[in-house]
Amino acid sequence: MMTASTTTAGHQAPPTAPPTGAGDRAHLRVSGIHKHFGGVHALRGVDFEVARGEVMALVGDNGAGKSTLMKVLAGAHVADAGTFHLDGQQVHVGGPKDAAALGIQIVYQDLALCENLDVAANLSLGAEPVRPGFGFLPRLLRPIDDLRMEVKAKRAIDQLQVRTLKSVRAQVGGLSGGQRQAIAIARAVGADSSVVMLDEPTAALGVAQTRQVLNVVKRLRETGHAVIYISHNMRDIFEVSDRICVLRHGANVATWRTQDTTPDEIVVAMTRGLEKEVGRAG
Amino acid sequence: MQDSAFLGMSDRLRILRQSRFGAFAPVLFALAAIWGYFGLALPLWDYLTTPEAQNLRLIFLSPRNIYNLFMQSAVIATLAVGITVVLLLGDIDLSAAATAGVCAALLGVLVLAGLPGWAACVIVIAVGAVMGAAQGMLIAYVGIPSFVVTLAGLLGFQGLMQKILPTGNLNIDDPFLRGISRILVPDMLGLAIAALIVAGMIALSLRRQHRRREAGLEQDSPIAVWGQIAMVATLLFGAVLTLNAYRSVPLLILLLVAITAALGWVTTSTPFGRSIFAVGGNAESARRVGMNVRRIRVAAFAIVGIMAAVGGIFGASRYGSVSYTAFAGGSLLLESIGAAVIGGTSLFGGRGSVWNAILGALVIGSLGNGLDLSGASAADKLMFSGAILLLAVALDAVSRPAGQGR
Repeated sequence: MMTASTTTAGHQAPPTAPPTGAGDRAHLRVSGIHKHFGGVHALRGVDFEVARGEVMALVGDNGAGKSTLMKVLAGAHVADAGTFHLDGQQVHVGGPKDAAALGIQIVYQDLALCENLDVAANLSLGAEPVRPGFGFLPRLLRPIDDLRMEVKAKRAIDQLQVRTLKSVRAQVGGLSGGQRQAIAIARAVGADSSVVMLDEPTAALGVAQTRQVLNVVKRLRETGHAVIYISHNMRDIFEVSDRICVLRHGANVATWRTQDTTPDEIVVAMTRGLEKEVGRAG
Repeated sequence: MQDSAFLGMSDRLRILRQSRFGAFAPVLFALAAIWGYFGLALPLWDYLTTPEAQNLRLIFLSPRNIYNLFMQSAVIATLAVGITVVLLLGDIDLSAAATAGVCAALLGVLVLAGLPGWAACVIVIAVGAVMGAAQGMLIAYVGIPSFVVTLAGLLGFQGLMQKILPTGNLNIDDPFLRGISRILVPDMLGLAIAALIVAGMIALSLRRQHRRREAGLEQDSPIAVWGQIAMVATLLFGAVLTLNAYRSVPLLILLLVAITAALGWVTTSTPFGRSIFAVGGNAESARRVGMNVRRIRVAAFAIVGIMAAVGGIFGASRYGSVSYTAFAGGSLLLESIGAAVIGGTSLFGGRGSVWNAILGALVIGSLGNGLDLSGASAADKLMFSGAILLLAVALDAVSRPAGQGR
């Protein structure tokens, strides 16, 4: 298959050869992912990988397949073909629950926070800790252990070093966009996840708020998470990412180490692909 | 987080409403204003303007009237507490009063057929739960808006009630049922229960503060904690002493408070209650964290059905009869929705409290009672109620967090 061989070539041999074999320490690796929506071939044999302690940027023009790939990774779409490997072990992702069980979490662009609840409640939403000793009641009617919930929330927030957030009892509705993004990330991280996908986390934010979120992303890298960062903003990508994976027309163009490339090169790859690679494959 | 120097009036209001305790403030203020007007201002005006008046006649604030006021508001409050639960989801239930009517009519028929009162109550509550849950299923699984489903329910159940009660009226003299509103809690027992509740609150607050300190969490400000306890104690003892001064605390009121306390605990302190608030705040978010939004919706409507049935039982007990106009055909529905909204429960979902519904019911009840006492016409009453309701909803809209539904 032509596209598949192109992407494989691009993946293993970016224009400047990778000095380290990033491939063998990949935490999550998918290969040969195909996804059809009716007659539309949205993903055509995409390979993708991310390692622990690494921020992998995923870029591409609109319609390149970024969102589809992300949803496939999160189990929201099931791939038509392709394999998943987690730490070298082949795994199966047949739905959001499978992905969550494997520690793959996604922070959607709309964040999905409950503005009427406080930070602690949002962080534990759907998995509220209950007090022991009420086993005679159905789980849904046991008293919530709100102290444990607050301690958990505080730990998650501290881990991400969100310094502007004064109290985990503040209602989310009163927080800034950056704080909300941080809380949504904290929720994803708190669920014992190892892979965190961020969909355009800075799209709606101002300068200071963006800085806050980028700090949180760097913090995730320090804590050994595998971060997948989807964005259109080259400046953010070049500040925060370790590698950049470019998709075009549902297939890989190539993956670069961020320090070895320039925004111009990435933009060209996004819009025109790699002339050389295409030429070689063809 | 927010620069307090640039807070506008609506921001202050919003922050007040968002604090745990501040949500009570507007409805308490409304209640105080209405009581002050009917209880003090009007009698004082009469006294000063009518030369032949011998002394100040404080009828509205007399223990006897307060007792009646509580009893009059009890059925509204029961329904309002139930309706609050679906309002928290962002839904509405227009059929609550009709459900209460069907349940009350069924209760009358069952008792007439010779069933013991308690058994009839159990059956009727189960029927109420099924009626609510059935509507909930249409809303959650078929996807019809709650407004439409419950409007159909309102019409259908009104008809059903007329079918059950062809004569339109049925007397109830079962001693068990009548007892609910007739039995009085002895004076001392009422005070003892009030004291126990306050002592329990103090003990829980102290233990909580202690545990927070141990867990290294931020402390609640002592003013807020003790202020809250002082306010509850004042309201509680004030109510018990006033009721004792006329007769005593009726069992009906005690039951209402107990049921509300149970429902208040479920909605604020359990994963189920949290999921109701989550669905009301952001249903998509609730779905993504794995909550079964549909089942939650059905459960909430079942709770309204149960509360409507309980309201039907309370009403039948208090009036000693079941009549079409007292439930389905009267103003009960609008009064109970009004009570829930005046209590500060948002029609947009996600904010509110069942306790506020009781205060809201007292506001509605006081308004009706006060206007009756001052000889106002039914037309005046309707217009006043409309104005108060509008004021309450306006307050809700202004104090809504910015960016939601605007």
